[in-house]
Amino acid sequence: MDWPESSDAPPLGDGRRAVAVDRPDSVEVLREIVRRRAAEGLAIYPQGGKTALDYGGIPRRPGVALDTTALNSVIDYPAADMTITVGSGITLAKLQEVLATEGQFLPLDAPHPDSATLGGIYATNTCGPRRFGWGRPRDMIIGVSFVTADGKGVKGGGRVVKNVAGYDFPKLLTGSMGALGIITQMTLKVRPKPEASALVIAGYSRLGDLAADLARMNTSDTRPMMMDVLSPEAGYLLEAEANRGSHGLRERMWTLVLGYEDNAASVAWQVQRASAELSAGKIETHTTGEDSLTRAILLAISSFPADRIESIDGSSDHPSQSPLSFVASVRRGSVSAFLESLQLDRWLAVAHAGSGIIHAHANPLDLPEETWTGEIQRLRDAADRLGGSLILSRCPIEWKARLKVWGDRRGDWAIMEKIKGALDPAGVMNPGRFVGTI
Amino acid sequence: MPLASPATSLSSQLLADLSKVVGEENLLHHRDELVVYECDGYVIEKNVPDVVVFPTERDQVVEIVKLCNKYDVPFVPRGAGTSLAGGTLAVGGGVMICMTRMKRILEINLRDRYAVVEPGVVNVWLTRALAGTGFHYAPDPSSQGACTIGGNLATNSGGPHTLKYGVTVNHVMGVEMVLPDGSVLEVGGLAEDGPGYDLTGLVVGNEGTFGIATKIIVNLTRDPEAGRTFLGVFETVDAATETVSGLIAAGIVPAALEMLDNLMIQAIEQAFGFGFPTDAGAVLIIEIDGLEAGLDREAHAIHEIVRQNGGTVKKSIPWRTRKEPEYVAIWKSRKSAFGAIGRLSPTFCTQDGVVPRTKLPHILRTITRIGEHYGLRIANVFHAGDGNIHPILLFDERDPEQVERVLLASHEILDECIACGGSVTGEHGIGVEKMSFMPKLFTPDDLAAMVAIRTVFNPEGRCSPEKMLPGGGGCLERKSPGHKASA
Ligand SMILES: Cc1cc2nc3c(=O)[nH]c(=O)nc-3n(C[C@H](O)[C@H](O)[C@H](O)COP(=O)(O)OP(=O)(O)OC[C@H]3O[C@@H](n4cnc5c(N)ncnc54)[C@H](O)[C@@H]3O)c2cc1C
Repeated sequence: MDWPESSDAPPLGDGRRAVAVDRPDSVEVLREIVRRRAAEGLAIYPQGGKTALDYGGIPRRPGVALDTTALNSVIDYPAADMTITVGSGITLAKLQEVLATEGQFLPLDAPHPDSATLGGIYATNTCGPRRFGWGRPRDMIIGVSFVTADGKGVKGGGRVVKNVAGYDFPKLLTGSMGALGIITQMTLKVRPKPEASALVIAGYSRLGDLAADLARMNTSDTRPMMMDVLSPEAGYLLEAEANRGSHGLRERMWTLVLGYEDNAASVAWQVQRASAELSAGKIETHTTGEDSLTRAILLAISSFPADRIESIDGSSDHPSQSPLSFVASVRRGSVSAFLESLQLDRWLAVAHAGSGIIHAHANPLDLPEETWTGEIQRLRDAADRLGGSLILSRCPIEWKARLKVWGDRRGDWAIMEKIKGALDPAGVMNPGRFVGTI
Repeated sequence: MPLASPATSLSSQLLADLSKVVGEENLLHHRDELVVYECDGYVIEKNVPDVVVFPTERDQVVEIVKLCNKYDVPFVPRGAGTSLAGGTLAVGGGVMICMTRMKRILEINLRDRYAVVEPGVVNVWLTRALAGTGFHYAPDPSSQGACTIGGNLATNSGGPHTLKYGVTVNHVMGVEMVLPDGSVLEVGGLAEDGPGYDLTGLVVGNEGTFGIATKIIVNLTRDPEAGRTFLGVFETVDAATETVSGLIAAGIVPAALEMLDNLMIQAIEQAFGFGFPTDAGAVLIIEIDGLEAGLDREAHAIHEIVRQNGGTVKKSIPWRTRKEPEYVAIWKSRKSAFGAIGRLSPTFCTQDGVVPRTKLPHILRTITRIGEHYGLRIANVFHAGDGNIHPILLFDERDPEQVERVLLASHEILDECIACGGSVTGEHGIGVEKMSFMPKLFTPDDLAAMVAIRTVFNPEGRCSPEKMLPGGGGCLERKSPGHKASA
């Protein structure tokens, strides 16, 4: 079968279109569909909220989109046990709404919470600033069910917070890019909602001064839940997003955003203490629980750069012009060293500095491909030197192969390919999307 | 030491070759030396390995594994041998690769918040090396004075403080391992995210069935600024377990929440004299930590919940470092609880079930009933905040009839955990002990997927055969099946 050409055909991402969309409303139906579509020789591309369709390699062969959004029920919510079991199609916002009725939350930030599904967030291992304090998606998942390419339902883990029976499939499926199976259900550890939260925002005219404060905060008397750094231009744009003039943000300075969550007494003390510890001349603080600014800034940071794309080049619906973004992961203390090597007239950057994560977005994109190829290679080398790696979270389709979305082949990819082969020998699930030949 | 008369059928050529790799001083093969290695903390099944080797570096592990392939014998990794599930049992004999002489802390990096260790590093050594730095390695199994980080990695160990801070898998960033074919695989690294599947997450908790860990990168956590440790005293086990449910339901996430019942309290008091009330039905050790500024509020709430359930807070230990004498004493008592059991019984068998935390009152009542039914004394000391029970069944291993009753009672307790929606192991692992429960927790399709994953790493089943997954041991036959404990 060929790729559908018609622009009416539903999108798979990267300009590819689906032969059809299947939207099962039960796991049984989903398993049946998987068996049937695989027998027809089609690939299966799981889709949740469609917020990250262009993420990863280009779909390799024609297939169907498998929409999980109907698997969106809350299956079990024993609030007093602080766990919840949900269908993978539930959106993050809906989940948080359910949890809020019991004063609880899932400490995970993701862009587009109104449409992003938990299955999609987990498949792509998406998380935001508060990973520093609360952990990553892998730290919150205790059980998973998924359907493999042969239509079988497989589960790992369970519904209790501690459990070492069997291999840790919840971890294996987290960040698996839909390339091992379709996540249908997950059990998550949740937390009581902190009583208060606060942001401490500091502006710096020199990155070096910010770097010194970052090192200082590594042993701060306070315990920040987030420690983000915004490059001057990124801070400026985010300020517009959050619609509020904060010092560092407004004046195109390097910005450090510290976040605190705990009971009110603790948060109040930490905000004061952090302000005293920082060397920055300009410091602004925002406290209170449900403060809309705190939330707006958090959301804006979590969504960066995805949300900025349209407004920057206005061309996001033309896939071949979709811009270039990367995520670098380096040693936790090396974020400022990495930022030193960024050309600020080319990149907007937001870093989860405590976790060693740098998100950056090319701005503008009107330079020739060779320039970007060289630039990415140079930054990859930098990330490599700092103990990590760099992947492209967005990339013009025609550049994808040359720029290598996932970077150069690594020593552990061979075993990943074997794992893929063990669970999906015919390459039915999301072919082409992930590393190596996966 | 002459290698001419091996105690077993193992080829003398293999012994000679192994000796060449590790040196005679790092190899045991005489029957009397091997007996120590016939079992670990799980004493109900025993089998001596044919030879025990103690590599001191990775390349030796590679050579040993290659020799096992060449001579077609199974091998099993071992750390300190504190496994309570028979994880190190040398099923089918073969070569035991004991990692305790690879024991260097290779690097501590506070700015990047990691440490690199060899697998034979004892958990508490790292804690000690970090003391005073403001950072610590969070997983703290009660056996931390003996168990190795390699063993912790393989079993995904927990501990009292994993309630708030997470278990081993949440604190391992990368692993270097020797695969069963002798190749070396590195997963994860110094940075948090890398492209591809989360192999680090998969490798933690593999119970030695994927290969042998030779280097481990662990995450370091900031020390809390301060804490309070309370001793809650209750007339009944019921009142204590209701308090646990009450605390969790109230949205309090203690740093640790441990329970000890009367039998356990008595044993510990005899051994350590900490000052636990020996007439109490149960006590809870409740610990909170964080910023001093925020602790009063939580402390107050805890007092209130303890009181509502008819208990009293008998001790309240405020601390700034974990070195306050009273703090050290209460945790020494708790973490040495298993040792104190020796005063009650020559042998014991610890179970490791998990239930949803709200089901704790129910499962403890059930344990009492089962103990009465089988005429067994059962002591309880466990990670209550996680719902992770550790009923300790006391018996005399020389009496086969008692052993039988212990097995039946254990199985009944674990079956009830499953019926409550829980698991048969929260931290000790499946090992050989609980393999028969896997089909009760997982469907044939689930297990087939697990076997498929194991086959990727360990295609011939040569590495730690017949562990964890029922019916899947690969090609190797059990030479002398582990026998029920006897003198
Ligand atoms: C008194 C007592 C208290 C305990 N308390 C706790 C507790 O609070 N929490 C908890 O989780 N456990 C506890 N345990 C169980 C036990 O201590 C842990 O499972 C521990 O992690 C085992 O470490 P070890 O070095 O003794 O490993 P071993 O017992 O030697 O081995 C355990 C398993 O790991 C494998 N293994 C060991 N080293 C390696 C390696 N380098 N590479 C690959 N595989 C390897 C072995 O094959 C085996 O399957 C307790 C045990 C005792 C006796």
